[in-house]
Amino acid sequence: MTGGACGSAGGSEEEGYAGRGLGLGLVLVLVLGGTPGGPPGPRRVEGLGLQPRGRGPASEGVGWGCAPPACLPPLFGVPQALVDDTEDVSLDFGNEEELAFRKAKIRHPLATFFHLFFRVSAIVTYVCCDWFSRSFVGCFVTVLLLLSFDFWSVKNVTGRLLVGLRWWNHIDEDGKGRWIFEARKASPQRSAATEAEARIFWLGLVICPLIWTMFFFSTLFSLKLEWLALVIAGISLQAANLYGYILCKMGGERDIGKITASFLSQMVFQTASPRDFQKPGLKGLEIHKH
Amino acid sequence: MAKAAESLGEPGTTWPRPLMRDLKAVGKKFMHVLYPRKSNSLLRDWDLWGPLILCVTLALMLQRSSVDSEKDGGPQFAEVFVIVWFGAVTTTLNSKLLEGNLSFFQSLCVLGYRILPLTVSMLVCQLVLLAEQGPINFMVWLFVVIVMFAWSIAASTAFLADSQPPNRKALTIYPVFLFYFVINWMILTFTPK
Repeated sequence: MTGGACGSAGGSEEEGYAGRGLGLGLVLVLVLGGTPGGPPGPRRVEGLGLQPRGRGPASEGVGWGCAPPACLPPLFGVPQALVDDTEDVSLDFGNEEELAFRKAKIRHPLATFFHLFFRVSAIVTYVCCDWFSRSFVGCFVTVLLLLSFDFWSVKNVTGRLLVGLRWWNHIDEDGKGRWIFEARKASPQRSAATEAEARIFWLGLVICPLIWTMFFFSTLFSLKLEWLALVIAGISLQAANLYGYILCKMGGERDIGKITASFLSQMVFQTASPRDFQKPGLKGLEIHKH
Repeated sequence: MAKAAESLGEPGTTWPRPLMRDLKAVGKKFMHVLYPRKSNSLLRDWDLWGPLILCVTLALMLQRSSVDSEKDGGPQFAEVFVIVWFGAVTTTLNSKLLEGNLSFFQSLCVLGYRILPLTVSMLVCQLVLLAEQGPINFMVWLFVVIVMFAWSIAASTAFLADSQPPNRKALTIYPVFLFYFVINWMILTFTPK
């Protein structure tokens, strides 16, 4: 995406070969690619004690309103990102606590736990309910409750804390509703998302709806139709979160093909020659520092 | 679900504040169903938690208590669930297609929250059935059901009809009437085993 000069340069060359049909590929790449959103250059630089660059096109606190399918162009696009990269990077040797907090692999252990807890326990309860009780209603209500808690916590808490994304629906004075998607820009004062947290977040977000889709087909073909209502509720709740966060992640870019292309190019360069990719990143930053 | 205005970076806003905010919003909407007042801001801040709670409560109460698989008596739990949600979505789609001013989720929210009187009448039905079954009890119960039915329809008509062009009001209100009538029918014909 528009995270930095290195990433965008690589992305524009590879635009041609990925099509829209690789939407699922995008999702898989998000999961497998480690840190989503930013080009690997700034991430490599973390080891030097510099702060990671911003990710996401929206600036602090300003959301770009986006009503699908028509979408307004982002207020802050590539020029903003370039300006960020030419700013002086401060070496922050603040107090010890802050440094330890920043170095920790998982900064919000409670949020990470609950992000996975509700989803996994909903799936486990659905699968194992026959062992615990014969009551259809008890199992139905329990799984539904767990799915609702999961929806609420992922939408309101864990997305915000773990990856700095949020989305909601805003209704204007004249009754028109529109969906707003925001991504937080990391700055030295605020803690950015760690790799481990982001990976856990996206893995949990993507894998569970896939599992519920599997349940949908198994319920359909085994003709246990009374469970279908629950499975459909589960799929819609989890897919809503997934869709919302993917739209946040995509930022102003509405062309899935372009996003997929840039991510795939990152993947290709990373796996092919990580060292070669590392050098241009550092060189770029050295130039900007002077 | 409507508002998520918690700022992104503040470490203090973990879960208690959004939770209290959402719970208060749900509570306010329930009060608004009981004491309707013209309030545009309440309508704009939609959420679907209330309808979910009401639907689950209604389905729990309408469920047969028997373990046997006999089909007479009250409807199954999942049936009620599907009827309520499918009916609400269809009715909302209808009002949307008739070029209403409200957004999809707003209409769904309004319809869903107005199930509260019907749930109350179901509660009364349960209490009446606990007492002796007699003609007087049945009369009381029928009266309550009719009053609650009229209340639901009046409350939702007040919101939905305002958002429609004048010649389309009846077309919007009729499916809403049908929707609440079906739910009421399930309540009326409920006989526990």
